[in-house]
Amino acid sequence: MIVFSGLGKSYRGWMGKEVRALTDFSLEIAAGEVFGLAGPNGAGKSTLISLLLGFLAPSEGETLIDRKDPREYVEHHGVGYLSELINIPPGWTVAGALQRYALLSGVPQSELSARVEGAIAQLGLDEHRSKRVRQLSKGNLQRLGLAQSLLCEARLVVLDEPTHGLDPVWTGRFRDMVDQLRRPDRAILIASHNLDELARLADRVGIIDRGRLVRVVDVRATERQVTEGAAYRLVLTRGQELVAAHLPAAQSLGRGEFEVKNVSLDDINTGIAALIAAGAQVSALTPVHSALEQQFRDAVDRGPGDR
Amino acid sequence: MTTTAPPNERSTTATTPKRARLVRYGMWQLRDFLVERGIPILIIGSLLGYLTVAPMLPSLHRNLATLPPRLIEKWGGLEGARAVLMHDFNEKFLNSFLGAMVYVGALLAMNGIVANDRKQGYYRFLFTKPLAPWRYYGQAFLIHTVGFVAIVALLGTVYGLAVWPILSLRLLSVLALMFVMYGGITFLLSAAARWDWLSLVAVTVAATFFWELYRDSQAVLAKLVYILPPVHRTSEVYNALAKSETLPWPLIEWYAGYGIACFIGGLIVLRYRRLAIV
Repeated sequence: MIVFSGLGKSYRGWMGKEVRALTDFSLEIAAGEVFGLAGPNGAGKSTLISLLLGFLAPSEGETLIDRKDPREYVEHHGVGYLSELINIPPGWTVAGALQRYALLSGVPQSELSARVEGAIAQLGLDEHRSKRVRQLSKGNLQRLGLAQSLLCEARLVVLDEPTHGLDPVWTGRFRDMVDQLRRPDRAILIASHNLDELARLADRVGIIDRGRLVRVVDVRATERQVTEGAAYRLVLTRGQELVAAHLPAAQSLGRGEFEVKNVSLDDINTGIAALIAAGAQVSALTPVHSALEQQFRDAVDRGPGDR
Repeated sequence: MTTTAPPNERSTTATTPKRARLVRYGMWQLRDFLVERGIPILIIGSLLGYLTVAPMLPSLHRNLATLPPRLIEKWGGLEGARAVLMHDFNEKFLNSFLGAMVYVGALLAMNGIVANDRKQGYYRFLFTKPLAPWRYYGQAFLIHTVGFVAIVALLGTVYGLAVWPILSLRLLSVLALMFVMYGGITFLLSAAARWDWLSLVAVTVAATFFWELYRDSQAVLAKLVYILPPVHRTSEVYNALAKSETLPWPLIEWYAGYGIACFIGGLIVLRYRRLAIV
């Protein structure tokens, strides 16, 4: 559904110095897919999204959505979009803003009220409906931004830092919403710093660093892989004194917690079995970094010259 | 690195295009115009009118009270004499008021019409809807023009009730055409630049200066002055309106044509220019 091919973007600074924001970016995203975009600050995520929505023109390469130029696609079909910065005129009310965006989304008159009320209820904005945008907290503003992105019923949904400012309850609800948004004919692109969130939501995650796509991670496959040299956190409720004998590589972090690094999963299992046989009680064994985080660190730490 | 989409999920689905309900959205644009721009135009227009009329009223009352009987007789009675005096009064008022009202009105009505949304980032949510920027702002231009004319009509009605009737279709339509010139220029500047109101002032000052300098020059390069808006002769139009004389229609057509050309230029900029500011 989305094709980026050889996409590049550079800006000219005040002194005429060229700043590369994106270099030779090629990627395909299919309908039905939830694609995550991860990268450090200033990696080029927002530039890529601006190019995808046609707000910026590329310096090289092209972007196609359903084989159309981005602006042509957006102007004919609309995109469900949540920007990183929520820019809504401060004098608009919550309900008024959603009515306006619903009209511009092409929602028919017969469905307008129901669609707006549905979005207000879904995002828990009922008690804020008469408030002006300037009166909203960061979290409520984020929910309003999310609500307007859902009005369009679009085949392409682009969410830039969607859980920024949301409390844990709404972060959880947001994940449920993304699950509900999944449709075989819809592509969802989520840009986020939160790798845990991307690991839960996305099918694939593109890691972008210094304007280049450095890795595309198949999240489900990666979660099943055992990463060599990964670190694990082991928690015992009983028998901490036995660890040194059965898992000599484990380093105590205090309060029954240990970090086990550079040990194969087979050796860890053997050690834990011996610990349990000796009377210890294991309450948890978790990777210190998720598989995606491991991939991210690996990709970003290597730097552009090592790829 | 896998950058291609999983093949079994590749999309071949075609979808029905959507369309923003822009005409209906016009009510919101009108509301925004009235709240954010209409009220300031009304206040400034009222102040401008009051400050023009107030110093002239005492002499009008004095003249009315001390009219020599022979003049009253000459003008067909007291009402006739009053009408003649009021005609002079209105002429002076309109001469001072109209030019300033149209210029300030256009500045307030059109300034930032595109540039504000770009600077504030409001374009992001607006133009991810199935909507072309040139249609959205083209409609906004028309609504702002109608709104301005409605405000002038309101001010004219108030003036008519308080002082003497001046409102006519001729006055309103000529003011609308003059407004289109300044509005069109501001619209183009707003679509193309960030500091549109400042640019309009700069363009007006430059146009006045260069027209005065080169209007009679025969040099080929002096013809470039025709690119600039012909603001140096606006007083001819306002004078004709104030005196109820025959209007200089070719000049008015030039003004309106210039404004419409700028408006179309603005639409073309919006059609092809990307909205993000980098």
